[in-house]
Amino acid sequence: MTAEIVGSHNPLRDPRDRRLPRVPGPCAVVVFGVTGDLARKKLIPAIYDLANRGLLPPGFVLLGFARRDWTVGDFESLARESAQQHCRTEFKTEVWARVAASLKFLPGSFDDDAAFDALHHELDDMCHSHGIKGNAAFYLSIPPPAFPTVLKQMERTGMADNEKAGGWRRVVVEKPFGHDLSSARELNSLVDDVFTADDVFRIDHYLGKETVQNLLALRFANTLFEPIWNSHYVDSVQITMAEDVGIGGRAAFYDAAGAARDVLQNHLLQLLALTAMEEPVSFDAEAIRTEKVKVLNAISLPDDLEHYAIRGQYDQGWLAGARAPAYLDEANIPAGSTTETYAAVRLGIETRRWAGVPFYLRTGKRLPRRVTEIAVLFTTAPHLPFDATDTVELGQNQLVVRVQPDEGVTLRFGSKVPGSAMEVRDVSMDFLYGEAFTESSPEAYERLILDVLIGDATLFPRNLEVDASWKVIDRLEEFWANGQPEKYRAGEWGPRGADEMLARDGRVWRRP
Amino acid sequence: MAATLWDTTGGDIIAALLAERRTAGALASGLALTLVIVVDERRVGEAEEAATIAAAAHPCRVLIVVRHSIDADVRLDAEVQVGGRLGATEAVIMRMYGRLSLHAESVVLPLLAPDAPVVAWWHGPPPIEIATDALGVLANRRITDCALAPDPVAALRQRATDFVPGDTDLAWTRATPWRSLLASAFDGLDNRPGEATVKAEAGNPSAALLAGWLTCRLGVPVSGEDSPGPGITSVALQTTDEAGEDYKIALDRPSGITATLHRGSEDPRSLPLPRRGYGDLLAEELRRMDTDPVYAEALSMATGSSVNEQPRSRVLIWRDPAVVAP
Repeated sequence: MTAEIVGSHNPLRDPRDRRLPRVPGPCAVVVFGVTGDLARKKLIPAIYDLANRGLLPPGFVLLGFARRDWTVGDFESLARESAQQHCRTEFKTEVWARVAASLKFLPGSFDDDAAFDALHHELDDMCHSHGIKGNAAFYLSIPPPAFPTVLKQMERTGMADNEKAGGWRRVVVEKPFGHDLSSARELNSLVDDVFTADDVFRIDHYLGKETVQNLLALRFANTLFEPIWNSHYVDSVQITMAEDVGIGGRAAFYDAAGAARDVLQNHLLQLLALTAMEEPVSFDAEAIRTEKVKVLNAISLPDDLEHYAIRGQYDQGWLAGARAPAYLDEANIPAGSTTETYAAVRLGIETRRWAGVPFYLRTGKRLPRRVTEIAVLFTTAPHLPFDATDTVELGQNQLVVRVQPDEGVTLRFGSKVPGSAMEVRDVSMDFLYGEAFTESSPEAYERLILDVLIGDATLFPRNLEVDASWKVIDRLEEFWANGQPEKYRAGEWGPRGADEMLARDGRVWRRP
Repeated sequence: MAATLWDTTGGDIIAALLAERRTAGALASGLALTLVIVVDERRVGEAEEAATIAAAAHPCRVLIVVRHSIDADVRLDAEVQVGGRLGATEAVIMRMYGRLSLHAESVVLPLLAPDAPVVAWWHGPPPIEIATDALGVLANRRITDCALAPDPVAALRQRATDFVPGDTDLAWTRATPWRSLLASAFDGLDNRPGEATVKAEAGNPSAALLAGWLTCRLGVPVSGEDSPGPGITSVALQTTDEAGEDYKIALDRPSGITATLHRGSEDPRSLPLPRRGYGDLLAEELRRMDTDPVYAEALSMATGSSVNEQPRSRVLIWRDPAVVAP
């Protein structure tokens, strides 16, 4: 898939020429719902940053589509404002002038046939005026209920058809990919009917983060870690995604979804898949996704769900020096809601490599700090030639991949405390990825949009992965259906049940 | 986070660097390389600024070597900076006087980050023969800047004669944005290239390398024309499309900031193509530690001299400037 760089016959391109950046071929990006939060805070700034880094092709158009009675000038001022506010690189007027020159806006509602016909013609016209060669990516930055309408419009006008267009046509879908297995399958078949499966890009922005990609480099480019990356040496794995914020303005969506559907189903299971997967036969999209699907299909849930699938809901408390309201007191949350804001679960992976190694996954809102990390905890040494009192402060060796913030890798191991007595204590060896490389590490969206335009699907989950992860979540949701989530105070590390869950196995949660 | 050492020794510099690292808490930072900058007193500020920008993208230890007259008394002054004036990097600025200037490597060697690649950058006229500078011999990558030579075209020719894989020149780095835009302009076309023209300020080494590259890649004659500048001002490519019609690709940058791309019958498009500062150029160089065969080919074509691309390392040639050649 990575080989699909446009213009491979281009005499000016040479695989040995590593200075020339990966620039997509000429194309248009059509954003549906361009006035929404995601477009303003992420997409438009990411497009600007790409332009600033010289990664946009000369033949490029950003076409906004929304139900606003706007001219392209109105769109430009919105785009300029959002780029200026949220761009990662320096805002330069000459770069903006270049982006502004490639902006287009089409007003229309999603059920308006005329508007979609106009869009279809506009795309054809731009082949001549902007030389986009019929290439276009459609970004569905719209609520899932609007998907069918928009997709049917694209099917009707034939604008999703690669052959009719004379170039490639791709679609980018944001999570949530459904709310359970059957709805996800419905959505998948809907999208796959209109676009070919290879042209569907599901964005999980976690996979665009540098450290997540670095996890693959860490595991498969080194000899040091892979030999111990199995049940002989790994005692357990803890994957945490904690947020200090509450639900913000997403009350309606969040209350219907909950932590498991919002985070566990996609981000945490994707991190688990990357941590536990076998080595792919090559580094192309298909090979990596094949290995991920294998691991996701091998996930098992414990029989004793009551003790190993814990959910919680935050109560009022204090967080970072300020009072935080209870979930039930947040705006627009129905009284007596049983939606969870915290979920912790123990999963197993039924493969030779991982048999018997528990994978503890947890996510929550209003936890003490924002952190996402993967901690691999190793078994203790089978024999310690020291006095028992020498090693009381020695814990398990740990390898921690910090996904955010301060991206990096920490290795924890025992070291002698200086002095005449033999005393061993845990120390950390830190590799700071973020601090040293921030300048060049692109925002996840930047990377992912670039990959869509180049046609590299490595970092996008395919529908089999979505299916496999919903199978896990459906079982949990079914079990949780009629229960009450356990309360935890805002500002503490989750409900007591989650601590008891690990205590039952003789373990404790790592404090991230 | 800084220490200044007057009339010091190499050993004291090592001790000061260690102490500064300890107090800055940077004991476990991820050093990817050591950057050795050879620079004249009057360009030190420029070099520091560039190193600060480049080091933000590539964690490195920066060693700035300022050589003064070899006729003075031997003396070494040093300034150690960790996470201070030069941003998130650790840097040692060394001023060497007298015959110590000829043996700068004796101070630099123990300061190199263990087992990390060494990059040498001459911010000034390039040395005639890199092998005569011990700092160039110990470096894995060597960066020169022909644009700073009194005669840039002659300097470029000398770079071709003296070439060893791992050498690059900032004149080549400056051509990257042009090359990138031209390559993008060619994407999606199936045209047969005809002749090309590169216009630039007289004696611009980047233009020579760009023309050399185009000749190598397209296999067509590329002519050069002088323009008032700044730098490269335009590239025009005559091609024939699939239907056998003339199809012109032209990229004009009269102002040094924004370029206009003309492609066949498409609307002209303006694209940012600003001239980059030393920091950005250096950051691009530090991205890759391997050799650049594309540069070697372009250099060979641009200078009309064959370039020895055999991987090999230089051996120090001792030449004492105090001894007049017989």
